[in-house]
Amino acid sequence: MAKVYNWQIGREMEYPYDGIRPKRQFAMVMDLNKCIACQTCTVACKTTWTPGRGQEYMFWNNVETKPYGYYPLGWDVKILDKLGVQEIDAAVYPGKTLFDAAPDGETVLGYLPDDLDYAHPNIGEDDSAGVMGQGAFLDVPHMNWMYYMPRICNHCTYPACLAACPRQSIYKRPEDGIVLIDQARCRGYRECVRGCPYKKTYFNALNRTSEKCIGCYPAVENGRQTQCTVTCIGKIRLQGFITTPDKAREDSPLDYLVHIAKIAKPLYPQFGLEPNVYYIPPVHVPIAFLKQMFGRGVAEAIAAYRKAADDKKLLGALLLFGASPEIIHHYRVEGDVTIGYDETKREIVRVPLKEPVYVRNTYDQRHQTYRTNVT
Amino acid sequence: MIVRLLVAIYVLLALGFDAEPAAAAESPALRAARVTGSSGAMADPDAAYWKSARAIKIATQPQIVVAPHAPAPAVAELSVKAAHNGQWITFLVEWADPTKSDRIVVDRFGDQVAVELPVKYEKDSPPSVMMGTPDGRVTIMQWRAAFQRDLDEGEPGIKDLYPFTHVDVYPDEVLRASDARAYMGSVGVDNPISHPKRAPVLDQMAEGWGTLTVKPEQNASGKGVWRNGRWRVVITRPLATDNNEYDPKLAPGDQTVAAFAVWDGGNAEVGGRKAWSEWVTLTIAK
Repeated sequence: MAKVYNWQIGREMEYPYDGIRPKRQFAMVMDLNKCIACQTCTVACKTTWTPGRGQEYMFWNNVETKPYGYYPLGWDVKILDKLGVQEIDAAVYPGKTLFDAAPDGETVLGYLPDDLDYAHPNIGEDDSAGVMGQGAFLDVPHMNWMYYMPRICNHCTYPACLAACPRQSIYKRPEDGIVLIDQARCRGYRECVRGCPYKKTYFNALNRTSEKCIGCYPAVENGRQTQCTVTCIGKIRLQGFITTPDKAREDSPLDYLVHIAKIAKPLYPQFGLEPNVYYIPPVHVPIAFLKQMFGRGVAEAIAAYRKAADDKKLLGALLLFGASPEIIHHYRVEGDVTIGYDETKREIVRVPLKEPVYVRNTYDQRHQTYRTNVT
Repeated sequence: MIVRLLVAIYVLLALGFDAEPAAAAESPALRAARVTGSSGAMADPDAAYWKSARAIKIATQPQIVVAPHAPAPAVAELSVKAAHNGQWITFLVEWADPTKSDRIVVDRFGDQVAVELPVKYEKDSPPSVMMGTPDGRVTIMQWRAAFQRDLDEGEPGIKDLYPFTHVDVYPDEVLRASDARAYMGSVGVDNPISHPKRAPVLDQMAEGWGTLTVKPEQNASGKGVWRNGRWRVVITRPLATDNNEYDPKLAPGDQTVAAFAVWDGGNAEVGGRKAWSEWVTLTIAK
């Protein structure tokens, strides 16, 4: 085992391979306050990448309802239960990662899901955290909470799937950190399915090999964001590249959101994989639940998010979500407009910080009809 | 290499085995008698010559040297016979397995058995029995119950695995074959473990842990039959081929070693999660 540094847990940890970071790291930020679980991302991914034989029950991108939705069934509560209660409040994580907790003869603490765990991809949809009493009516704030969580492969800095594969059939691309399974080397042992705590490697029972999200690498190689990002009608996603906190660039929207504004958090950082999909936590959910899922700093993240309207730099980054199909490498706010640039600093998009308001007359003289203004 | 040898010795000591080169220390020698039979008969577990062949018992042990371990594999003993016809060498491996596992979905694994032979053998210094080393390559022929079922009954479609699946259209139904390959994953890149070729046996080589590779040329064959809670599997290959890099070159009168590994699919054994044997001396009768 080598010692590698994981900034999300603030310490070195054991990992089977040396900690060589890619030239740049694929990353995504998802704003959970904006997701409505329309599953457009799921369908976009499905039709692009997994319409084939043996992929019928496979969703590289899925959207589940938290707290009671899971795909596969119980994926997170099962591994949390196996890992046991850990202290997650300290800047330096004192608890065990899944690598620390690996039993004798295993590389990582994991489990193999049952086949039926994949049978209900949207189980728990719209279930809220508590029971709604007889006669309950909609009120604000809502009396119970739930939220939608879209999930893809986290293209972890320290992937457990890669660590668990005894054949080194899984590799992390040096050019962008995307994690791939070599379809010619894989022998379908399912060690990656067992090892990945996010259960984002899938077994294709007809091909008898494992498959996973490929980070839309053909798009990323051409400067375009992933299918799940560009098709998102709620504009909840921003995909690009992220650095480590010590190298954070203020003009990179992902760096700004994750390292500087610190409003986007990794999924279960205590597992020790340094996942690279970051979530803006939902503002209405109990902090204790969010802390378990996204680590320390969620209360501060929510406080900063609530004040985003007063913070032009933060607002500028948030408004780039869904603004362009191209990967935004740089951005800056100029007056009341945020501008996104590509890798060569060519301008690709301009978004006003405040949506312009147009008011129409109630009576349309030209067509001699009445109009209703809607927003 | 030295580290691996030390690990191997340590493990053998820890298991209570003799640290001497293990060939034939525990198990009696295996003798391949000369028989007459076509190459087809060499792949037949019910061929008449097996009746007179002598079976030896070979102990198998848990693979607990390299992760992932199988601390409690289901099979502890194999019964093995060998024969040759001057061109082909064949092994009949039998073991008790109350459950036949030949259907594969994410949480179900297939029964398998493998025969390992050194590519080059020097007396008293066989290559590492644990998947060989770069300077001591091994050839590994692996029979798979799932392949056997594919060949006997046809490969499963999605409806065989999940009868109530609904699918509107697959890419290969609407695209040209060359365009549809991109949607086929490992099948699209001709991964040999996705489908059986002509035989239920994979002809493979290895030169260390994690290096097992299916050879471009498949020379092995075989057949397995499960009856009354018992697998009866034949694995056969030519004594020699033109390829000295990956294939053993054997002839009547030679002595070499062979080792065996077995996987109980019902016990979720796969890959390194297996039971394995030490080298056993193998004599090929004149």
